[in-house]
Amino acid sequence: MPEMVTLTIDGHEVSVPKGTTILEAAKSIGTEVPHYCYHPGMSSPAMCRLCLVEVEGAPKPMPGCVTTVMDGQVVHTQSEQALKNRRGVLEFYLVNHPLDCPICDMSGECNLQDYVHAEGREHGRGREPKRIFGRDDFGGDVLFYGDRCVMCTRCVRFMSEVEQDHRLTVVERGNRSVIDTFYEEGLDGTYWHGNIVDICPVGALVSKEFLHKARAWDLTHTPSVCTGCAQGCNIDLHTRDNLVQRVKPRENLDVNAWWICDYGRHGYEWMNRGDRLEAPVMRSAGASQAMAWGDALRALLAKADGAGPVKAIASAKSSNEDLGALKRLVDALGGGDIVYRSARADDEVPLKGFPTLARRTDLTPNATGADLVGASRVGDDDATGGLDAVSGHDGIVIVLNDDLSDQGEDFGANASLFVYMGTHASAGATHADFVLPISTHAEGEGSFTNLERRVQRFAKAMDAPGMARPAWLVLGALAAETGGGDAPRSAADAFAALGRSVSAFAGITWEDVGTRGALLNESVSVTGD
Amino acid sequence: MSDIPFKNPGWAGNTGEFELSEEEVRGADFVGDRPADGGHASGAGTMPYMLAHKEPEAPLFDGAYKDRLEKILSRYPTKQAALLPALGLAQEIRGHVSPASMDEVADALELSSAYVRGVATFYTMYNKRPVGRHLVQVCTNISCNLAGADEVVDAFLKYTDTELGETSEDGNFTVIEAECLAACGFPTCVQINSRYFENVTPTEVPKICEHLKAEGE
Amino acid sequence: MAYPYVSDHEVRVLSRYFGDPAQRRVDTYVERGGYSALKKAFELGPEKVIDEVKASGLRGRGGAGFPTGVKWSFMPKDSSKPHYLLCNADESEPGTFKDRELIRWDPHQLIEGCLIGAYAIGAKHVYIYCRGEFFEANSILARAVEDAYEKGYIGNDIMGSGIDLDLTVHQGAGAYICGEETGLMNSLEGRRGQPRVKPPFPAAVGAFGMPSTINNVETLAAVTHIVEHGGEWYRQFGTEKSPGTKLFCVSGHVNKPGNYELPLGFPLMQLIEDVCGGMREGNALKAVIPGGSSVPIINAEEAGRCTLDYEGCVDVGTMLGCASVIVMDETADIVKQVRRMVDFYAHESCGQCTPCREGSAWTAQILKRIEDGRGTEEDLDTLMEMTQQMVGTTICVLSDSVAAPVQSSIEKFRDEYLALIRRGERVGAA
Repeated sequence: MPEMVTLTIDGHEVSVPKGTTILEAAKSIGTEVPHYCYHPGMSSPAMCRLCLVEVEGAPKPMPGCVTTVMDGQVVHTQSEQALKNRRGVLEFYLVNHPLDCPICDMSGECNLQDYVHAEGREHGRGREPKRIFGRDDFGGDVLFYGDRCVMCTRCVRFMSEVEQDHRLTVVERGNRSVIDTFYEEGLDGTYWHGNIVDICPVGALVSKEFLHKARAWDLTHTPSVCTGCAQGCNIDLHTRDNLVQRVKPRENLDVNAWWICDYGRHGYEWMNRGDRLEAPVMRSAGASQAMAWGDALRALLAKADGAGPVKAIASAKSSNEDLGALKRLVDALGGGDIVYRSARADDEVPLKGFPTLARRTDLTPNATGADLVGASRVGDDDATGGLDAVSGHDGIVIVLNDDLSDQGEDFGANASLFVYMGTHASAGATHADFVLPISTHAEGEGSFTNLERRVQRFAKAMDAPGMARPAWLVLGALAAETGGGDAPRSAADAFAALGRSVSAFAGITWEDVGTRGALLNESVSVTGD
Repeated sequence: MSDIPFKNPGWAGNTGEFELSEEEVRGADFVGDRPADGGHASGAGTMPYMLAHKEPEAPLFDGAYKDRLEKILSRYPTKQAALLPALGLAQEIRGHVSPASMDEVADALELSSAYVRGVATFYTMYNKRPVGRHLVQVCTNISCNLAGADEVVDAFLKYTDTELGETSEDGNFTVIEAECLAACGFPTCVQINSRYFENVTPTEVPKICEHLKAEGE
Repeated sequence: MAYPYVSDHEVRVLSRYFGDPAQRRVDTYVERGGYSALKKAFELGPEKVIDEVKASGLRGRGGAGFPTGVKWSFMPKDSSKPHYLLCNADESEPGTFKDRELIRWDPHQLIEGCLIGAYAIGAKHVYIYCRGEFFEANSILARAVEDAYEKGYIGNDIMGSGIDLDLTVHQGAGAYICGEETGLMNSLEGRRGQPRVKPPFPAAVGAFGMPSTINNVETLAAVTHIVEHGGEWYRQFGTEKSPGTKLFCVSGHVNKPGNYELPLGFPLMQLIEDVCGGMREGNALKAVIPGGSSVPIINAEEAGRCTLDYEGCVDVGTMLGCASVIVMDETADIVKQVRRMVDFYAHESCGQCTPCREGSAWTAQILKRIEDGRGTEEDLDTLMEMTQQMVGTTICVLSDSVAAPVQSSIEKFRDEYLALIRRGERVGAA
């Protein structure tokens, strides 16, 4: 138990561990002291001077971000002195700020906008010509608008302290200071630089990919989990018009803290793919017929009866719930092998300043989940090959969420029943008796299990196209029809069913997983290089 | 040196109450051209200077300069601490600190190039672009200003036929304004390369310039 | 024998050999009694050296006036980490020109003081951070250090005492802010010379992350004499609270500008009239900045009441700073000179803290507009209020230094501002 210190902030008594800063102590009781340069993941230079608070007995206002609490201290964050200071500092920020909010991507989520609106002067007194830095391409995905910069140096510190590749610096001094790279060197070849756009409190660093794409206030934020690798970074999907517009990290100190890698950040376009399967299709005697789900499933069950042993292809991109439902169906149909394929990178891409975080070599989000339900990995590191035993199988073939992109039209030609559950059409599904449209993880609820066996939930960020349904709903219904029991009606049901059938998932409830994730009983500890 | 038509306080009896030669005021009689290097940690022998002769394409840290850099490194607990002296050496050789020089210094000290750029641009003594053989820095801060430093600047600009910061056509002079040079009792103070010229008045400016040109250093 | 002029009022302790080139030579220095204070210090032991300096009441000569002995006593006694003594020779405060003289005329006096200081605080290495522009003075100092090494006053087993001390002269590269102690440490470490947030204080985490003490050139030079003659001896000069002698750097409109070493508490007007030969061309005194450009300007009436010690300056609403007396006569253009000083601070602001980075440049812009005859009376209110926002709100005190001349000049010389605002008329020529 750490030694506790009790102080008073704005009249509220608060006890925090010794060594806590005033800013963090205030945060713990829900008081946000405005700040720019402070970021919990990096050192505090105390240079923005916004977080100055009044401490009784101190001769000068104290920076809340570096002043540690003392017993009996009396702090005022909203006193006349504190407000006067913030009003003064905010005016200084606006002296050379271009006020180009109408064309600034940060508008609507900008700390300068918010703070000035809340506490700034009503009218500016600046009459002098403004300093102009203009726009600079920092390489990678980053554009720099120097005139909007508040010189908090969060970006410089992220690159030097967290990514530990000192590509950014403050050039010059005084009010000619500006953030820059080494001339034309830029940020190319760094793999975490997207984070500097996130931590920029204003619109100085913006994403080229997101440039002028959407206004912040039009975006819906949905908590999700990155599908780029087995790390399972917590993210928010920002959607508008049923399209993912961008991906932002979601704070989870146990997994990715405040950061995500650039691969994960930009690996969302597949969720917006337009050429989706939209209706269940039954192919019979060379003719394809779209039909209602109920009809399709009844026809499928009729054909499955006595169709022989099962071989199933699963996917490490599918949720725990999908995989569990597939496992139950395969068992109900008499059992059989489940295999999956997953892409692997040669090397990890660690974030040096945060040793438990890396872009992992396993480029799928749920290989752990697939392994736990008894699937075995086949194929090579490009997620191709390895399907010979399934391709010519003469019993039941079920393909879940593997687009068979490397397979020819003769895949499954000998199968007595070939069910293809996917998001889009594939030449490999030419012989499929049933092509069933499923939703992506962005279109429904579910969970993944990351490489340290942490189960993490994601929420529904967008609507599935047409009649596409979550795979667990389809597979769960089929399994219940075949093997008895209740069909799951929600992802929570499907997760509970998983817990009953796969021991590794036993004892953890959907609520336990919550928004922060829950470790399975036999977790493995993971560190980077 | 004795015919240099400028004044140092105490020298030549222009001001002050001392009878001293210019060598005695500057310490040239004591130091010589450069302080001798006796192999100690003093810093003598490795001190960077600003020279009229500049070789923008010359290699950095070759030969004698390599020895100087190694000596500098031996005096500090970290490699990074050698950054300012190393940039000074680069400027002594090449006359200014170019991006290429920053890159080479970064390599030599195992620092990132961006970091070196950040440090180099913080300090005014590193010329970020080429300057003339003689970099004329006229203090125009308060004490010199009260004594008419603005007219001294004008005199230099007139003689060299340049604007502030420009290099004269013959490549001899670049005139800039400087902040206080800590010679406020001897205004106007002008730093030209590594030397201070004190009590400078506008009428002496052409003489100083002509002397420097003749010196041809 | 201060330099370049001499006055009978002087008490020449530190400046005794100014203008005497022989003093630079180690043999002459030793003949004249040099390095005996170092020997005495070794005999006294570190504790007693600190006690002696405390007893002298010596206050830091860099501007803040903090008692030197007390500062030394902050250094940890039982730490196994290396300690460093840093000598601040980055003299750049406009109006100040004493350290360069101390370095170039009497380098061994400074070296000896540095060695005594290092011994007292348990440091093994001294870095003298010299202003980069001082090529000539630094060459003299480096040569003198080299000589002292040769003679065994620096290095291993100094004078057979078994004590090892090293001393390195380090050149700055042009940044006023490196005269701020933590900015200097950053610069010494090869970083941008930005001041650090305190705490931690240098005595705990200083240069290279180690316990460090930093003292001004004049402070360390005085230590040599205090250890030589004792703390009580030093107290015979100056006042009760501001003991000792001080180098006064007088510049501006006096007949004999220069360095004068006087006991603290010397009357300002006597300095101007008797020591410096009076005002140039017999003009009337208009204003004085008694402590370098960072302190408030005082007018002639206040100057008449001002004594030059830490307390005497505070009594008339200004500060002694580093005793850099800038004298302005009736021809001085206050608005132009204030604008020039603020330009300096805007140029030298390191750019970390927002109030300083933006405020100093904005202040300079407004002052320039007023100077050009395009100002308004509201500008004066804006200046007063916004410079107040720059006081006490930043990591170091550079932005406070912008406020001092602006606020004091608007209060005391408002008429000059108003003349420019109303009629575009300028008072004085320069």
